[in-house]
Order: sequence, then structure tokens, then C-alpha cells
Amino acid sequence: MTNILSIPGVKVSQKDYHQIIIRGNGLEKFNNTIEEKTSIKPPSKNLEIKYDLNYLFAKNSFDQWSLILMDKKEHHQILNLVSSINTNENMLASDYSYGQVYFEIEGENKDYFINQLTHFDLREEKFPKSTMAQTIIARIDCSIYNLGNKFVITCNKSYEDYFQKRLKDSALLSNAS
Amino acid sequence: MILIKCPYCGYRDQSEFTSGGEAHVIRPKNPQSLSDKDWGEYVFYRNNPKGIFYERWVHSHGCKKWFNVVRNTATDQILKVYKVNEKRPDLSEFENTLKSPSGEPLVGSGNFAVKK
Amino acid sequence: MTAINNDCQYISKNKISFTFDGKIYSAYDGDTVASALLRNNVRLVGRSFKYHRPRGIYTCGIEEPNALVQIISEHNEPNTRATIKRVYDGMEIISQNRWPSLRHDFGAINNILSPIFSAGFYYKTFMGPKGFWKNLYEPLIRRSAGLGKPPKNFRSKSTHQYHNTDVVIIGAGLSGLAAAKKFINTKYKVLLIEQDCYLGGILKNSNKVKTINELTPQEWISETEELILNSKNITILKNTLVTTYNFTNHLIALEDKFAGKKIELNKSELTLHKIRTSNTIITNGHIERFISFRNNDLPGVMLASSFEKYIHRYGVVPEKEPVIFTNNSSSLSLLKKLISLGCKPKAYIDSRKKDNIETEIKKILKDNDISFFSDAEIEGCDGNKKIETITIRQGKSFTKLKSSMLCVSGGYNPDIHLFTQSKGLVKWDKNILSFKPDTPFQKTITLGSTSGNYNFKKLCDEINEKLSILKTKKVSLDINLNVPNKFSINELWETKKKNNSNWSKSFIDLHNDVTIKDLKQAITEGFDRIEHLKRYTTNSMGTDQGKISSINSLAIVSKMLKKEISEVGTTTYRPPYAPLSFAAIAGRSTYEFYDPERKTSIHSWHLKNNAVFEDVGQWKRPWYFKASENETMYQAVQRESKMLRENAGILDGSTLGKIEIKGRDALEFMNLMYTNAFSKMKAMTSRYAMMLGEDGMIKDDGIICKISDQHFIATTTSSGAPKVLADMEEYLQTEWPHLQVFLNSITEQFSTFNISGPKTREIMMKVFPDIDFSNDAFPFMTFKNFDYKETKIRIMRASFTGELGYEIYIPPKFGLKLWEEIFSCGKEYNLIPYGTETMHLLRAEKGYIVIGQETDGTVTPIDLNYNWMIGKNKKDFIGKRSLSRPDTSREDRKQLVGLSPINKKDIIEEGQHIVELNELPKKITNPIKYLGHVSSGYHSPNLNHSIGLAMIKGGKNLLGQKFFVTATGKTKNIPVEIVKPVFIDPENKRLTS
Repeated sequence: MTNILSIPGVKVSQKDYHQIIIRGNGLEKFNNTIEEKTSIKPPSKNLEIKYDLNYLFAKNSFDQWSLILMDKKEHHQILNLVSSINTNENMLASDYSYGQVYFEIEGENKDYFINQLTHFDLREEKFPKSTMAQTIIARIDCSIYNLGNKFVITCNKSYEDYFQKRLKDSALLSNAS
Repeated sequence: MILIKCPYCGYRDQSEFTSGGEAHVIRPKNPQSLSDKDWGEYVFYRNNPKGIFYERWVHSHGCKKWFNVVRNTATDQILKVYKVNEKRPDLSEFENTLKSPSGEPLVGSGNFAVKK
Repeated sequence: MTAINNDCQYISKNKISFTFDGKIYSAYDGDTVASALLRNNVRLVGRSFKYHRPRGIYTCGIEEPNALVQIISEHNEPNTRATIKRVYDGMEIISQNRWPSLRHDFGAINNILSPIFSAGFYYKTFMGPKGFWKNLYEPLIRRSAGLGKPPKNFRSKSTHQYHNTDVVIIGAGLSGLAAAKKFINTKYKVLLIEQDCYLGGILKNSNKVKTINELTPQEWISETEELILNSKNITILKNTLVTTYNFTNHLIALEDKFAGKKIELNKSELTLHKIRTSNTIITNGHIERFISFRNNDLPGVMLASSFEKYIHRYGVVPEKEPVIFTNNSSSLSLLKKLISLGCKPKAYIDSRKKDNIETEIKKILKDNDISFFSDAEIEGCDGNKKIETITIRQGKSFTKLKSSMLCVSGGYNPDIHLFTQSKGLVKWDKNILSFKPDTPFQKTITLGSTSGNYNFKKLCDEINEKLSILKTKKVSLDINLNVPNKFSINELWETKKKNNSNWSKSFIDLHNDVTIKDLKQAITEGFDRIEHLKRYTTNSMGTDQGKISSINSLAIVSKMLKKEISEVGTTTYRPPYAPLSFAAIAGRSTYEFYDPERKTSIHSWHLKNNAVFEDVGQWKRPWYFKASENETMYQAVQRESKMLRENAGILDGSTLGKIEIKGRDALEFMNLMYTNAFSKMKAMTSRYAMMLGEDGMIKDDGIICKISDQHFIATTTSSGAPKVLADMEEYLQTEWPHLQVFLNSITEQFSTFNISGPKTREIMMKVFPDIDFSNDAFPFMTFKNFDYKETKIRIMRASFTGELGYEIYIPPKFGLKLWEEIFSCGKEYNLIPYGTETMHLLRAEKGYIVIGQETDGTVTPIDLNYNWMIGKNKKDFIGKRSLSRPDTSREDRKQLVGLSPINKKDIIEEGQHIVELNELPKKITNPIKYLGHVSSGYHSPNLNHSIGLAMIKGGKNLLGQKFFVTATGKTKNIPVEIVKPVFIDPENKRLTS
């Protein structure tokens, strides 16, 4: 965990997680397979997320899921899980573990702060708790997960440097005024 | 910056989408059997009417799914959004009542529209 | 002479000083440049655009056409409205568009030459003689064009702020505040936006309103503001101007964060608010318009309600004894206020008939013995750089008065700019003689004077009724006035000149110096459509958009054309409502943030090892590595290329796109998307593949790895990756939904290293001692998966350089460590890192194409002699049908060939033409036959001469023939031989052993 920035009402930190992207049709066989191999039942409603301290399972769209594993794991475990899911002809699992970066934002001013970098509507009625969205933040394609008191934002690792700089720059300017 | 309703993600800013041109242009099942002219029509020709237009959009900076839109190209109003596998709404469903703000005549009444 | 209004609560008592054209003046904190100058009796502030006529301060707001100044102590901000810009201590201001000084401007000669600067001047002149435009006219015009000087080079810190809200109320005047009150603590999220730093609008700009709900206007404003600040759902943005009303209720507003203060360079000075709302309520009021008469532009002419605003809002009476000229009932409040301050207007001229004029007005004028002219008008005014004499016409008689200030009121226009930007339709109202909002196009509500309602008593009902579609509280407004409630106006747009002269001017647009005569001339020349007329005369095209005059011009034009004004219509109002700085529009997306940058996991190593980077899409890729401080790019590339073919070199290929494709129908899908035949391809092998557009042209290339018939991994070019994935998804979703195939992008999921060269095998065996790299165990174009430390890697035997080589795929977390390990093992074999430029050179030596270099969207695989890549038995694939179109099957299409210089010292340059002539004629009178172009050209250190790849018409049949390549700066062309496009190891022995 790295502290990225902390200003009144906004705290941003960066974490390292493992992740799998799963494509499939969301029908019974799919759900059973996933539950069998991960011990978690995949969310069924579009944009819905299920989470606890160890995982964050999201349905990104009608045939795409994202499973973020937050407890400590060895890469072999993840790769085995991926190959195991891929034995199923109707599913594609890809390991996303080291190609993404994960930021967590909390604080009472987090909405206003994030809206310096994105047009996305963060209001409760448009982006309720326990849902996710894919949108553009700081001109980068990101996924944003609403965990209630905090947001998790992920994007491609190659943008890490630029994204960190944009976050810090935004904090610097909003704090100065 | 219009607001577009992705059928999967809800209303989003236009900047998250990419326009996909005319909808319901089906790739011929047997391209080899088509004459050069007919094949050329499929590859190069698209309609561009002033007024009610059936088009496609993709949520390129979001869920990356394609969907169809009925839009009035004169006023930029989106009249209907429907999924790729849903039935195409009939033209009679839509009323082209609003005159474009610069006072131009309705679709078909002038020489502005590119006729099919 | 000026006077002070001590009642004014909006100006502090803090004295500050500023300079204008080098002279020091004092002002109060809260003054604008205009109010401060008026306080100091400065009337001359600028020179007009075309004629360089002396100009003064015309208004007290954003609609100002003349008082545009340049702020030197900031970023040299030009064309600043003196009527809006607040002064700070030490501000340096200069006037614009004059030389050598404001008083004595050389440009005034334009005024003398004015008869030739009539309408359409720009279109008709400067046509010839030939050569004069480039050498004389353009430089001259550039030097004298524009008003202010360009701003200094500076790094702005403007930011953007996005809002998503339910209701936006534009303008916190009487109507806006009353509307806001209805929303307090309701379920709606509301944004109340106000241009000024104080709320109140007309309540603070005049004293027309006596009480609201038995409170004074100031008390009512304070009470309302307090309630709003304490509410849970309403936010107020001050010093913020809404400039744009876009589709789907999207608004752009500019906030000046340093209003009245000097800019601090480490803070953001502007914020551009981008607001998406469900409902927009426009309550930004009305704008007064002028009347055209002879010399209506002299310093000293000011709009009446602006004069009134200076008294109430800024506490300065610009002139103790002005002349008032009006055609409506609103000027009464100004009259009353002047009297109450002990000032006595020199005269009151009303164009209405005496019987139609309010009794109260007549009584005040009589009681105070003020010269009164009814059914009269101003014929014109005269003076040297200011008003000295005013000529009044009443019937057939003329009266001359001496005065230095003339307050003019030609009526009021509801401010319909934002409403029409939203594509709402307006309608002419003959009661107020102006356009008012009629049919909204979006969810827009207008209230108060913006909607054409000038009746204070009806305001409460209007607000409650129009907002009844939302669930709001009922609000009561019991308004008592100091003036009669009814608004009456008599139509008057221009007055007639006494004499006709070429030099006397009656202006219809003060900003661009357009006169009534110009309008008439344009119509006679046939420009009778309002959009044409606008552009031909430049009427209302200035930075003020003709806010105080464009309605007048429409009325005058309709009279000239003998049409109804609604027939003539309005021109399209375009955003922004007021000048908007580019810095605000750009926000933080400038300099290092201009475009998101993508870096690989090896980036830090590249930096440490003196890589010079190039941009490939958004990626930063090493272009070449500098072995020493002085090494040039040419030297580095020659060195890298030679070293690789002698020993080994490694390239960071992580940026290339990778897509994982899996499903029951994956094989069928791959066969459709690419030209190649994949059916008979063996598992765990790789193949170079090509993707075409439906028009048969090459779109992208890559290597396909087949894990099984249901599972593939495709690579793409670095910049093509997003497009290839998007195209694949498009076909699967919209064209072939029956195919059961899933895709995932895995570009970021692997660091990729391309290592090649004769010593590669030895290095690989050292890095991976457990893997058998022998030719039999690991043939060319096969791939395998291995466990490696805590993870898994994939190694494919392939290369883009034509040397023995491998591609290593490893998750990015472990990438850097492996890269360093490879270098540690490769040291004894002289392993070098190489960049994209060397990669391009080496592949050219082998004749491998690069998408975007040999291809440009007009090249088919057959043009490149890649027929072997097209699956012969495939019934269909994207682009197949187009390969047999008449144009794509022509024999004389441009085809790929190699070029070898006849003189080994000659250099073949990329982009040059291939011609049949050995020398270009000195003067080219006929087009020279163009045979093709050089798509790639390099000096090969391995062959010791220049080589080229070219696309030449019918090239396939020209092998062995001699042609010429043009060269930069030379007329003598370079003789070359057309050869097969491969220069090194044509049998591919190095690659496959």
C-alpha cells in the first residue's frame, strides 16, 4: 500500500491486487463453474459488485466479469485458477494480475475531487453503492467501483505514472486555492 | 456534447462513445456471388439523410458494447436506443415535428436531404 | 464632472492605485477598471477597430463594445472588458489599437479614408495585382489587425470542474434568487451561478424596487443568500459566467478565481465548469440597447441603465448634469436618483408623444426645472474626442446644447443568447419591441426579464407557475416599486441626419465600426438574407456579439426590406457568450499532461541506459540508445544494427498489442478476420498473419499463436491494438453474434522481449538452463509455455530482424528482473539493447513491411507479393471479395520492390519519388511522370550502402531495370536498380537454423 496523496477531505492510496477477467454467457453452467472454482457466486445483475475484505467480484456487462482478489496470493494460484476456468469451452479467463493498477479514494470531498478529472456522474442515485462503471478518468479508460465509503479505481498499468501525476496535480491545485 | 443512453450502462456523456455509422447494413452472406457494383455499394455507400437516421454507436470508453440509435440528424435528438438483437423500430413511430432552429424546412420538403 | 454616491455598499473604503497608459490613478477596492476611470474623469479609453475613432465607456457590463483594454501586469490579457475587470492594487493597464498614443493616434487617418472602407471592403479589395497579397497586403494587414497585442507566453493553471446536477439557475438577480428560494431543502441538487461577486442583479444595479416582502432589497438579498447558504442542496458559484448552453442541458461556465486580485502563479486562476443538468432556469436578465444617430460613438455617450448601474453598484456618478435621451418609461428611475443626489440633468429628451409619457416623469421635470423635449430625438452630437455639443430635433426645429455626457436608452432586450444557444426558438413581442423566448428545445425555463416579463408584480405568479412542473416550495413575493410598474416604449431605432456627408457616421455596430449606411449598401448589393448581411458587413461579429445593437440592426433591416421582423429572423447565436480563454478550455491537458503517456515495466532501465524515446501512439518507446554523450542518432542506429547481426540485440516489445481469443467458433472467426488459413495450422505453432479492411486494403498485421482450434493469441501493431480489438468486437457483436467466441485484451498483461542475433541461442541457454533451444526441439515459428520462478512465461521462436531470435512473454511484475538477468548473461556475448529505429532498419534489410510505412490504407497483400498469406481454399474472409475488384486487380498497381543504388555512395531517402529522368529540368513546365515512392530508406551498415523499399507502379515486372530516385536539394537524381525486396540472407538460413 502506498500513500499517493492526502488533503482535507480526500485521501488516495495505491494497492496491489490480483485480478482475472472472465468472459462467458452468465447462464447456469457458467455460474456453477465459477462458484465451484472460486467459491464465490458471480453477480448476476449488470454493473453489480459483491465484495468483502478478500475479493471484489463485478459484472462489467452482460458477458464480462472482473474478479479482484485482495488477499495475498501466489501468482501460480491465480494462473491455475485461470487454466482451470479455461477448460470450459464456453468461457475465457485471462490473468490481469500485474497489468492493472489499483487506487482507493476516500474522504468526504472525494466526489468533488474526482469530478476534476472526470465528467462521470457520481451522485448516489446514478452510481449507487455496490455498483461499478467503466468510464474515462483523467482521459484514461478506467473502471470505478463504489464500495460506499470509498471508491476503487483501476486502469492499465502503463498509465500508472501519468495517472499518479494527474491525481497529485489536481490535489495540489485544489488545495492551494 | 449530447447525452447517450448505453443500454447497458445508462446515460453517459458523448465523449465515451464512438459513432459507428449507418445501422442495419448487413454483410452479404455470399460476397463472391455479388457483382462488383453491388459489392461496391456494400463497402463504400452509406445513407446520410437529414432527419431520422438509424445508426450505430459503441460505448468505446465504457463497456465496449455496440447498440443502435434512432437520431434526428437535423436536431441531434435521440429518439430511441435499442440493442443489437432487438427489432428495428418502424419509421412511423417517430414524429418529425420540430423545425430545425435555423428555420429550415422539414425533411423531404427541401433539397437538403441526400436521397437514397 | 463626476460625483460620488455614498449609499453604495458594494465598494470598500480601501484606496488602491493603478496605472492606465502610464499614468497613476487611485481607485477603491471593488472598482472595475471602468468605474475607476470614470471616478477619475477619464473618458477616452480606446480607438475603434476600423476607423480608429476615439471611444469611451459605453456600458457597465459584459455587453461593452468599446472599452477594451490590455492588462500588462498579468499575461498581457488583451481585449479585456474594462466594465467587468476589477482593479487590484498595482494593476497596469494600457489602451489598445492606437499608435503612438490614445490622444494622438496615427490610425485616425482611417477615419478620413473611411468612404472606401465601406461594407464588403474586405471581400472586394486586396484582389491584385499578383504577388501583392503575399508580399504587401498580408504583412500590412497582420500588423494592423486585431485590437490588442497577443498575450505573453505563459503556463496557465486553469482547471476543469465537472458537475452533475438537477437544476442550474443562471443569474442570481431578483428572479434567480426567488427561483432558488423555491428549491431550498427540496430533493433537487441546485447550482446557482452569478457573474458578479455580489448577488442581486437589478436590485443592486438600480433602485426601481422599493421593498420585497416589506424588506429593503438589500435586506431581502441578505436574507435569501443566508437561507441558501444554510440549505443542504444549493451551491452558489460567484464570479462565474455561463458562456455556453450545449445539447442535453450541458453548460459551460467560466469562473474567475482571481477577480480583483493579482494572479498567483502557483494557483489556478480560472476554472472551467462543465455542468450536466436536468433542468436549466435562465434568469440572466436583460440588456439595454442603444439608438443610432450621428456620431453616437463619441466618448460621453453611455447607455442610461449603465449610467444608473455606476451610481448604485459602484458609487460613482459619471456626470452630474447629463442629457438623457430615451424612447421608453424605464429612464424614470435614473432621473429620480440623480435628483435625489442633488444632480440635475441638463435635458430630458423622450421620443414618445407628451400624452404617452408618465405623469410622474413630467412632474419631476417640471418641479426641477429640467429642459424637457417630448416627441423629439437626438439628431447627433459633435466634439473633439468627446461630446461637446448635442443637437436635438423636435419636429422641424433644432436645439443645440452643451454637455459632456449623453445617456441613451433605446429599450431592453431579454438576454436570449443562452436560450437560443440551446436551440430554443424566439418570437417578436410588440409590447416590448424585442425578441423573447418562445419554444424551448430542451428542458429550459426562462423567468423575469429574460422571458420578456418586465412586470414586477407578475413575477411571483410567473415563477410559481413555470416551476410547477417540479416539486418545489411556493414562494411569495410582495414587491413594491419606486417607479410605475408598466413598461411603455415607442419604436425608435435610428434618427435622421441633418445633412448627408461621407464622414458623418451613425453606427449600428460600435465594436466593428459598422454604420447604418453600410447596412443599406449591403442590401442594395443583394445581401438581403440576415446571415449574409452579417458576414458581409461584419455587423455583430465582434467580441461583444453586438449585444447592445444586433436587435436594432434586425429591425432596421426589416424596415429596409419592408418585411416583418419575424420574417427576417435572427442570426444564429453562437457560443461562447463572452470571450473565453483557450487556457481555460485546455485546462490541465497541456504540456506534460497533453496526452496520457504509456510506459512499459522496463522504462526505468531505458532511462538509466540513455535511451532516447519516440512516441508510438501514446507509448514511449526507446528510439535508440546512446552509447556515449556525443553519439548521434545515425551513429547509434548504425552501431546497434551492426552489433545485432554480429552478436545479439534485445528490444522491449511490450507495447505490441496482444489479444486472447477463445471459444467454440474461434477457428472460424480467425479464418474470417485474417487472410491466412488457420485450419491446418498445428497447435503450439505461430504464423505471420494479415488483417484487411472490407475494401481489401491492409489494416494490420501480427503473429497468431494457435494454442488449439478453440484458443488463439493474436499480436497486433503497437498503435493498431485498440482498433483491432474494437473491430473484432464489432464483427462479433453486430455481424456474427451466432459465433461463440470471446476476446480479452492482454496487451498489458505481458512484458515482451524480442531478442535476436547469431549469439542468441547461447544467451537463452544461459538465462533458461532447463529449456532445450536446439533447432529440432524448438523450431522456427513455434511457442512453448514454461514455469519460471514464481510465475509462468511463454517463449516463441520468431524474429523481425531476420536473425535467429525469440520472443519472451512474462508478467510485467517480473519483467524488469528478467531483463536485467538477460543482460547479465548476455554481457559476455556483447548483447546490446536496441530501439525502434534499428528495428526498422533491420527489418528493411529483410524486406519485411511495416504497417503505416509500406502500407497507407491503399495497399493490398497482393501489392506486397504476400499472396502466400492468403488462404486459397477459404470461401470468405474480410476483404476477400474486394481483392478481385477491377481496381484491386489492375496490373499497374503500385507494388513492393527493393531499390539498390548503382553508385554505392548515394543515399536513398524515404519519401522521394521514383522517376525516369536522370535530372530534373531547371524549370518544371510539365508534370513529371510519377512511377512510385520510396516507402523506407536506410543506410545499411551490414551491406555498407543505402537500401530502399519502394512502391512502384507495376513494380513486380520491373526487376533488374534502372530508374532514378529524386533527392533533397539536388536536381540530379540517383540512379537505382529495381531488385527483389530482400537484401540479407534471402534463403532465411539465419532465421531457421
